[in-house]
Amino acid sequence: MRRPRAPQGRNGSLRPRCAVVSLILLACLTAFSLSSSPARAATPSLTIVSPADGAIAGNGTPVIVHFLASDFVLVQPGRLGQVVAPNEGHLNVFVDGALARLLVQVEPIVLPLASGPHTILLRLVGNDGAPLTPDVSASLRVVATQGPAGNIPTVGIVSPKPDERTGHGVYISFQVSNFSFVEPHGQANAPNEGHVQMILDGDVMEVLAQYEPGFLVSLPDGDHVLTMRLVNNDDTPLSPDVSASITFHVTASTSATLPLVLNGGVLFLEVFILVILFLRRRKAEVRTPLPPRDEL
Amino acid sequence: MSGRRLVLLLAVVGLLFGIGLPAADVRAAPPPPTLTIVSPADHAVIGDGSPLVIVFAVQNFNLTEPGTAGPGPATNEGHVNVIVDGNLTAVVSKPTVVLALDSGTYQVLLRLVSDNGTPLTPDVSASINVTLTRGPATGTPRIAITYVEILYPFPGDLWGDDITISFRITNFTLVPPGRRESVPNEGRLRVLVDGLVFKDITTYEPAHFSDLPDGDHTVTMRLVDGAGEPLNPDASDSTSFRVEGEQKVAPIPDLSPYLFTAQIGLGAAIVGVLYVHDWRRKR
Repeated sequence: MRRPRAPQGRNGSLRPRCAVVSLILLACLTAFSLSSSPARAATPSLTIVSPADGAIAGNGTPVIVHFLASDFVLVQPGRLGQVVAPNEGHLNVFVDGALARLLVQVEPIVLPLASGPHTILLRLVGNDGAPLTPDVSASLRVVATQGPAGNIPTVGIVSPKPDERTGHGVYISFQVSNFSFVEPHGQANAPNEGHVQMILDGDVMEVLAQYEPGFLVSLPDGDHVLTMRLVNNDDTPLSPDVSASITFHVTASTSATLPLVLNGGVLFLEVFILVILFLRRRKAEVRTPLPPRDEL
Repeated sequence: MSGRRLVLLLAVVGLLFGIGLPAADVRAAPPPPTLTIVSPADHAVIGDGSPLVIVFAVQNFNLTEPGTAGPGPATNEGHVNVIVDGNLTAVVSKPTVVLALDSGTYQVLLRLVSDNGTPLTPDVSASINVTLTRGPATGTPRIAITYVEILYPFPGDLWGDDITISFRITNFTLVPPGRRESVPNEGRLRVLVDGLVFKDITTYEPAHFSDLPDGDHTVTMRLVDGAGEPLNPDASDSTSFRVEGEQKVAPIPDLSPYLFTAQIGLGAAIVGVLYVHDWRRKR
């Protein structure tokens, strides 16, 4: 008994059609997968929002760095069962080349920095701590200072006054603005911070790093030029130069000469009185001559 | 299915089960956590009064805020206790620790603990010794006397007993006595006059001397550490000068005794003249 067979012609036309459809579907899937693959592997990016490059952090305040990371998931490294995955890892923060922070979430980075210029580098790394390929990092330069971030420093001499007459010891009072005194110990220069030089007749007499009057002793008699100059931590003058000068006169102390003057004055008065008396006596003798002895 | 086939099937199932059990045990016991301090290095010196920033790395451990872990004991989840010189100082769940510490040398121990604060078993910890200083972390301290304020009558020879000496220091920060511990590049300035300790200076200001006896003197300025010991190598500088008292040199001659005698004489003469005049008139 033979089974009835399907017609050859119909079955033969269906197979090529299925193959064509399958090929079209395969092509569509391939195209879809190819087109969608770049979206999954988008390149991470890192942006420092603030501060601006070259910013000055004044008054000894820490530098606060705000950043944004896109197409990257920050996670804690070393989690149980964690594997290296693309677009996942953490953020390393370097200050002047040294590792300063390891961040696992987007948050402000507070960095207390010593006075001077610094370079801050932010770098995205994978879960294994290795930098991404290609490297994804951002950096900026900042300058930290104990002084104010802006404005121009000034200095003025309060005492002695211009052309004032003083004794051999003089207190020097001065006033500064937009400038902070710091003790120099070899640190880097920073804007609007340093100390003041007390210069007398062109020679540096003292260096003052505190807002207190200076004291000059054993000054010789005569005219003197006093200059107060603001300088950097390394003793170099500010640019442009910030200084103030006055001329004052040193004279001998009146306490030393007053008794001498008084004694001399009294002596002179006595001589004067004596001379007057002598003169009056001589004049009186001339006007009233003595009667002769025989008349008496 | 024949009996032989059934026995064979049971044997294969039993074998697979026997192999599978140890495998299940391996999956149930997670790998042990580890803890490593990445930065700073052991025995590092942190300068300029900066806070101590410790960056650490864990493996096979999930850092969670205390009190937020799931129910039940978890050996691979918890936080980090920060212990400074034996005292619990901070509890952190992020891989960066910032500690504000005074100058000194400290032992910092980090320990992984479970969510309830108990140490892991076995203990997982790491420690370092660090030194903090308000001075610079590196560099050799130096001192130089810059200005000796002797103006009159000429430099190097002092009339009177007041003198001011300025100095400049490098790679060293003057601090008041604190923990009396020797840390690098910080301390105070010891002033010696003729080899004897005169005073210690803890702020950057010129040294002023008064009432120095007449004669030659040598002032030495030496940097000392927090314990008062000289640095190694020694950092000092000296200057010499002569003090000549004002009484030896009289810029203004003292004529008072002569003037006083003359005044008495003249007064007597005035009185005498008046008396003689009246006496002669009466006669």
